[in-house]
Amino acid sequence: MSDAMVQIDGLVRHFGGVHAVDDVSFSVARGQVLGFIGPNGAGKTTTMRILATLDTPQGGDARVGGYSVVDDPEGVRRIMGFMPDYAGVYTNTTVEEYLDFFARANDLRGEARRKAVEHIIEFMGIGDLRDRHVESLSKGLKQRVALGRAIVHNPDVLILDEPAANLDPRARIELRTLLRELAADGKTILLSSHILTELSEICDAVTVIERGKILATGSVEEILQRVRQRRLLSVRLAGSNERLERFLVEQPGVINVHEAGPCLEFELEGGDEEQVQLVSRLIGAGFAVLEFSAHSGGLEDLFIEITEGRVQ
Amino acid sequence: MTFARVLAWLDDKSDWLSPLVVKEVRQVVRGREFSLSFGASLVAGLSVAFFGATDAAAGGTAGRWTFVALMACLGFLGLAVVPLGAFGALRRERLEQTFDLITLTALSSRRVVVGKLLAQAVRLTTLFAAMAPFVAMSFLLGGIDFVTIAISLVVLFLASLWVCALCVFLSALVRSRALSSVIFVGVGIVVLFVFGVAGSAFRAFSLGVFFAATGGPSLTASETFWTLAIGTTMWLVTLINLLLLAVNRLSLPTEDSVTSLRLGFLAQLLLLTGWTLTFLFDPPGAAKSAGYALAVLGGLHLTLVAVFAATEGSTVPRRALLRMKSPSLEGWLIRLFGPGGGRGPASVILQLAILMGALAAFPINDDDRRAFMASYGYLCFFVGVPTLLFRAFLPKYATPFRLRVAVLVVLALATALPDVLHYLIRQPEILDLHYSARHLISPFRTLANWQTVERSGWELFPLAAGVTGLVALILLVPAGARQAAEDASINPHRPAPAAGEPGRADLIY
Repeated sequence: MSDAMVQIDGLVRHFGGVHAVDDVSFSVARGQVLGFIGPNGAGKTTTMRILATLDTPQGGDARVGGYSVVDDPEGVRRIMGFMPDYAGVYTNTTVEEYLDFFARANDLRGEARRKAVEHIIEFMGIGDLRDRHVESLSKGLKQRVALGRAIVHNPDVLILDEPAANLDPRARIELRTLLRELAADGKTILLSSHILTELSEICDAVTVIERGKILATGSVEEILQRVRQRRLLSVRLAGSNERLERFLVEQPGVINVHEAGPCLEFELEGGDEEQVQLVSRLIGAGFAVLEFSAHSGGLEDLFIEITEGRVQ
Repeated sequence: MTFARVLAWLDDKSDWLSPLVVKEVRQVVRGREFSLSFGASLVAGLSVAFFGATDAAAGGTAGRWTFVALMACLGFLGLAVVPLGAFGALRRERLEQTFDLITLTALSSRRVVVGKLLAQAVRLTTLFAAMAPFVAMSFLLGGIDFVTIAISLVVLFLASLWVCALCVFLSALVRSRALSSVIFVGVGIVVLFVFGVAGSAFRAFSLGVFFAATGGPSLTASETFWTLAIGTTMWLVTLINLLLLAVNRLSLPTEDSVTSLRLGFLAQLLLLTGWTLTFLFDPPGAAKSAGYALAVLGGLHLTLVAVFAATEGSTVPRRALLRMKSPSLEGWLIRLFGPGGGRGPASVILQLAILMGALAAFPINDDDRRAFMASYGYLCFFVGVPTLLFRAFLPKYATPFRLRVAVLVVLALATALPDVLHYLIRQPEILDLHYSARHLISPFRTLANWQTVERSGWELFPLAAGVTGLVALILLVPAGARQAAEDASINPHRPAPAAGEPGRADLIY
């Protein structure tokens, strides 16, 4: 992908006998929000730490904005903001001082530094907290400040490891709103999370990893279509379902026909072509079809469908 | 100019400081530790000043003992309290999980380490400034001259900063919380010991050396200042090396933190050699003492260098490989002193040659000279031979850490095995532990009984061990170069081998 902002090629990282990351390759396009999902110990954090230049690969390479994490980690750090799965706060430091320190550490000077800190305080909505000590904040507010820290130097790429972990629903919604705004601002975002419903609302695509290997990459629908042998469909008629049930049972590839409220649900083996043929046959047989829907499934379905839950 | 504009102006000027200094000063001034040490120093200063003034009122010249008492207070703060804070500097960053966050910024490992040290320098300056009025008072009370006060303060400040640099290095050494705590306790004990030693040294120094500058018998003024100049240079070089060691520990394996470290340690040896060589044309006694000093200090230096440099990995990190190709001075330096490719053992041989060449010029007793040569020979043997054998027969397992463990194990075996084997094979009724020919393999016992070795004509064994060790070190050079060339030919774009954690000490020195 020529427009890839993050490009990972054959990344390998072992810890003794454990293959934490085993020949991992995928990319994130400019402006894309990619969810990185997998069970615990799948290799998400290791991959993200390598991308953030906090660890080095034993094989392969990764490029962020064209900079290699091995050859030019300084270049990567200039354009990348990383938020690990812990807040990492200083004692005896106010929110404003905390952000000011990281602005200085990212080589922002004078007026540019002050403006950057003010912008982050405003963007994150933490103006009331500027004089509060960071360690005294709640988990949700700490996460908010941590996200501010990660973007204080206005990076093009954001890597967020479990940003919503242990947050209450309100804090999660606020975080999701902030991430949406960042995505709208054109940032390329790679984020991992266990809260799949959250991810599905933010992400353009997902990459699934298990036992250090990439299992699938693409939009949720694409992946489900690729991995599923059959699809769940439902039909609702204007009249009685009795004749329809008999009709469906006789159709090739249709199984598990059952009532679900006013509808009939069933599974169809095959893809789009088989589905189109079935709809044609239904109409041809004279059924007064009121509703016909395919349950594409969500991220949770996908996760359960393609991961085995095995750890290393 | 309004107050807000003054603040903005100060804020702009603070950009010249390391971000870590700004952050640490903000943290420190709110911390309990600083308030306590600052308050304690004021109370101590006031108490000393009160007693000094009382003594002066009674007609005594209290300046001298007042100053010594104030220096003791400052010494405690500078050599114990602040260094312990310095030790906690990087340790706290790890415990609070903020170290990774610093690594992610534009701050390089070097800027982090220097920033941490500068923050301690600010703390020291604040504490010294707090004591300044009382020190000035001791001068006014009489009995001590301004030069002595100024030099003593500068020496104590530099010594404190050096101990802080050592603590920053120790703080960078380990990532494990448990090990870090063990080192923390160890450092506490050492700092207290250093404080005791420094107290004695200060008393000796203040009564001898500094007062000699005002006409005492021990050293002339020019000799005193010459000694101070050399001491300051050694202070600076060793301090820089401590910082470079800390940087090496914090750097990613892909970075080249070896070249500067190797050059720093070479400069340290050259400085030591140069300093001792200045005594060469002094009276024979002084020249001889300088020769012994070089032999002992140079030997310790060489031991540290050999253990780490000869066992370092042969692989050249990809970034160093790329920079080597540059025709600049940096590229040239990396080609000569850079990491991997057999340059580690080569640098050991180079430094051994410098040390032995310089020692040849000094009028040292022949038997002592042979003993020193034997000690260097044993060093080559116990570092070179295990490393070469490991690399030749178990190349897959020849990591720097394992090689260093192997060196220590072989040394321990050489010390213990002669008696154990003697007991098992000969089964004597009484195990005679007196030094004999079977102990020649043990360097410690052989050097401790060198006169017996000379009397018995056993010098051939240490000589053979030394030659074997030197040959092993020489063979490690082309072996390392071959390995590096093979690595590069297999995949010129390979990443460097990763360590378990970001940062390592396997390329220490």
